[in-house]
Amino acid sequence: MKPIRCYLGVIWQILRKDIQVEWRGRQGLPVMLVFALMIVFLFNFALQLSPDLQASLTAGLLWVSLAFASTLGINRSISLERETNALDGLLLAPVDRSAIFFGKTLGNFCFTSLVGLVLLPIFSLFYQQNLLRLALILVMLLGLGAYTSLGTLLSALSIQTRTRDVLLPVLLYPLALPILIAAVEASRGVLSGRALGEMSSWMYLLLAGVILFNAAGLIFYETILEE
Amino acid sequence: MPKKPSLLTFLDISALILIPVALVLIVFFTPVEAVMGSVQKVFYFHVSAAWAGMLSFILGAVAGAGYLTSRRISWDWLSAAAIEVGLVFAVIAILSGMIWARPIWNTWWVWDPRLTTTTIMALIYLAYFILRAGLTTPEARARLGGVYAILAVMTVPLTFFSIRLFRTIHPVVIATGGDGSAFNMTPRMLTALFVSLFVFSILLAALVWHRFRLAQWQNDLPQEVQ
Repeated sequence: MKPIRCYLGVIWQILRKDIQVEWRGRQGLPVMLVFALMIVFLFNFALQLSPDLQASLTAGLLWVSLAFASTLGINRSISLERETNALDGLLLAPVDRSAIFFGKTLGNFCFTSLVGLVLLPIFSLFYQQNLLRLALILVMLLGLGAYTSLGTLLSALSIQTRTRDVLLPVLLYPLALPILIAAVEASRGVLSGRALGEMSSWMYLLLAGVILFNAAGLIFYETILEE
Repeated sequence: MPKKPSLLTFLDISALILIPVALVLIVFFTPVEAVMGSVQKVFYFHVSAAWAGMLSFILGAVAGAGYLTSRRISWDWLSAAAIEVGLVFAVIAILSGMIWARPIWNTWWVWDPRLTTTTIMALIYLAYFILRAGLTTPEARARLGGVYAILAVMTVPLTFFSIRLFRTIHPVVIATGGDGSAFNMTPRMLTALFVSLFVFSILLAALVWHRFRLAQWQNDLPQEVQ
């Protein structure tokens, strides 16, 4: 029992550290949130949305702004470690490195989910549609779970390149595409009033993403960060 | 510089001979498709290129895993060679598909799920080379490239599953129907298709091998010119 508790303890310490850094600096979340909002407005002007078009595009817009904002947060989470050389400290710690992955992923997941939860009422207001539904929140959490675990994994790759964090979107967006497709389709289904059971294939796809990317993190994080 | 293996020479010559043979089969041997006409004949090389692309992406991931377990740099040469050649084949599949789509769908490009995801797959592997270019040591290129190649292949089934769920206008030629006739083609078309698949597999093996040998030579060069 002890190793497992120790492992979970490491995950919790990393998560706590990230929350503490965010709480004291308050630099990640506000940036993500404002960025997501700006995307909403940008799209409105760029696409010249008419009211009836808006309804069908809400799910897509929600996920595009979530995906962009999450990338910002994930990038910040890892570059913060890199800038302050905290990453070396983490790597020196005599703990399993996959625990670091799960801790970072959980941190990113918490922050992006928070951004998502704030975005939902804002979207409801702007697009005259009630987005605060339990089913949609469930879809969002599942989708973000898969997205942030893949993102956290890839951010450890991109941070080691010469271009640093610039590379993350290029690596992340194409690989995350099935997740985004599933999330958008499931969200659109929920918004058009269908039951969650009807979208079970999309939900399973999201769940498969969560499991697959976390398993990949468990296996590969150690290899990625070895130096 | 190692001598060129005779098996590779054999593959080269086989590909050189068999590609014209496949072309002759496609042009003269196969019947003209009833509805689409002769433009359908692009299908044989289109499917073969897609097949070769898929095959080499899988090979790239397997070789990546080979590097991660054995830490021998030659696995990475194979992985990068396979993915580079695979990318070329994927682009050929996309372009030949567009040539077919122009008269049949009346447009070069449709936002059809299969086209979109195939292009996304090409982008995934384009990103692979951007990643490699950003890494400074051959060891990091091999290690992170290997991880990325495996990750990329992992998402391919997810992508294909998401296409199945979407409605697609892409023809499903090889159906998984229960009536026993899995192929929606005449025997002659089938023969030409299998010959094309075989030829492209040989071409793929030859190209990957050549690219592998190039990586080997690059490795033998002094560090400054690499």
